[in-house]
Amino acid sequence: MEWLAERLAQAPGLENMLYFLAITLPLLSIILGFVTYAILAERKVIGYIQLRYGPNRVGGRFGLLQTVADVLKLLIKEDTRPKLADKPLYILAPIIAFVPSFAILVAIPITETLTFANMGVGLLYVIAVSGLSTIGMVTAGWASNNKYALMGGMRAVAQMISYEVPLIMSAVGVVLFAGSLNLTVIVEQQQFVPYILLQPIGFIVFFIAATAELNRTPFDLPEAESELIAGYHVEYSGFRWAMFMLSEYVYLFAMSALITVLFLGGWNPIIGLGFIPDVVWFALKFSIVVFVFMWIRATLPRLRADQLMEFGWKVLLPVAMFNIFFSAVLKELFF
Amino acid sequence: MSGEVIVFLLLSSTAILGGILMLNLKKVIHMLLAVVLTFLSLAGLYVMLSAEFVAAVQILIYSGAVTIVMIFGIMLTKHQAKEEKNKNPLRTTLVGLGIVVFFVTIYLAIRNLYFGQEATALHVNNTEQIGIKIFSYYVIPFELVSIVLLVALMGAVVLAKGEEGDEK
Repeated sequence: MEWLAERLAQAPGLENMLYFLAITLPLLSIILGFVTYAILAERKVIGYIQLRYGPNRVGGRFGLLQTVADVLKLLIKEDTRPKLADKPLYILAPIIAFVPSFAILVAIPITETLTFANMGVGLLYVIAVSGLSTIGMVTAGWASNNKYALMGGMRAVAQMISYEVPLIMSAVGVVLFAGSLNLTVIVEQQQFVPYILLQPIGFIVFFIAATAELNRTPFDLPEAESELIAGYHVEYSGFRWAMFMLSEYVYLFAMSALITVLFLGGWNPIIGLGFIPDVVWFALKFSIVVFVFMWIRATLPRLRADQLMEFGWKVLLPVAMFNIFFSAVLKELFF
Repeated sequence: MSGEVIVFLLLSSTAILGGILMLNLKKVIHMLLAVVLTFLSLAGLYVMLSAEFVAAVQILIYSGAVTIVMIFGIMLTKHQAKEEKNKNPLRTTLVGLGIVVFFVTIYLAIRNLYFGQEATALHVNNTEQIGIKIFSYYVIPFELVSIVLLVALMGAVVLAKGEEGDEK
């Protein structure tokens, strides 16, 4: 992508702006397409696991147009706002929640050539910026002026900051082995052995913490339907609500891509199968991760709030710490 | 005008805007979002200075962690939006005078400041350079900082425990 770097160095103008639009719009549409079909796939997978059919009316036997119909419904729905809501924050919150989710995709390398920003601190950038969404959630909870929304918002904050710590700590092992925070370099280092084999403990901790960061079952306390109605977005409707849903699924995309890059070797093929293009390898590994996320969601019950905190601080964090220590010893002795 | 200047002007004006908004807004949570705006623009300025590691840490620690802790503090305390009218003309004049004096001093001080040659290799392996510098030349200060933080953590725990004991 050298022509992109050249573009960036040029004086700004209308032509350059159109260029950047032309680069980012395809990504946005790919993401929207992914979200559309990830929602359908999730409902289908959960349906089959729970011995139901899932959506099967709109768009043929497999309900292929179900999400499209849902989005259309959301678009023409009335945009309600509680009378005593904090108006500017109520409007701002979905935007604060969505923008970081899209912004982190820039750092994730899909293949060697299909990279948007080859950042030296890629991993840190992804984790740091994704933390900003929490502010959007708590803002939504506060601005709605509703006790359930506020409780959901507070739970979201407590959960996100508790699980961000083991998330980062478990990725440190990968950074130690790769010797870099640059995601492209991390993938290149896994040319022969993916880090899931060298870092099994790190992988498990990272996966659990990622599930918690994504607010998915068994860690979906911030939006527990049966306790808090729907948590921080209970007062939202129409397209503002869709923004929250969208950011959630974009995070699913980003987190699965990050796991693929950190632990599964990104675009690297299994040795001997190099004739299959890089993009296909990435998509394959990525789809497996997404499927496992759905699988977990369909089969596990929700944790209690106190169990959640205890598990995060007393189990995951010590395990992640031990993993760092162990990886350092391993690296010193064998690599 | 190059893109760099435009980006700099945008970022610096958003940083200042965030600061001004924070001082003038009435509700605490609005102020908090204004602070986040300032923090983010500062991170952008760090990126412009080729300090990507500092920028990422700025977002991670300040916009992420510190703000969240402040949100907790606000939610656990009373947060009524109160407008305190304090229109003392003498005080306003004195503050204004102080600002003018401060501006003149700083302006005179930095007008002829010379930083030497512009560094050219800062962006190359930025994180690695920081790591090598810290762990080969500044190990003891680094460890001292961590001890200070540990002491602060212990202090916080002791304080929190003590309050609980008083209630009983």
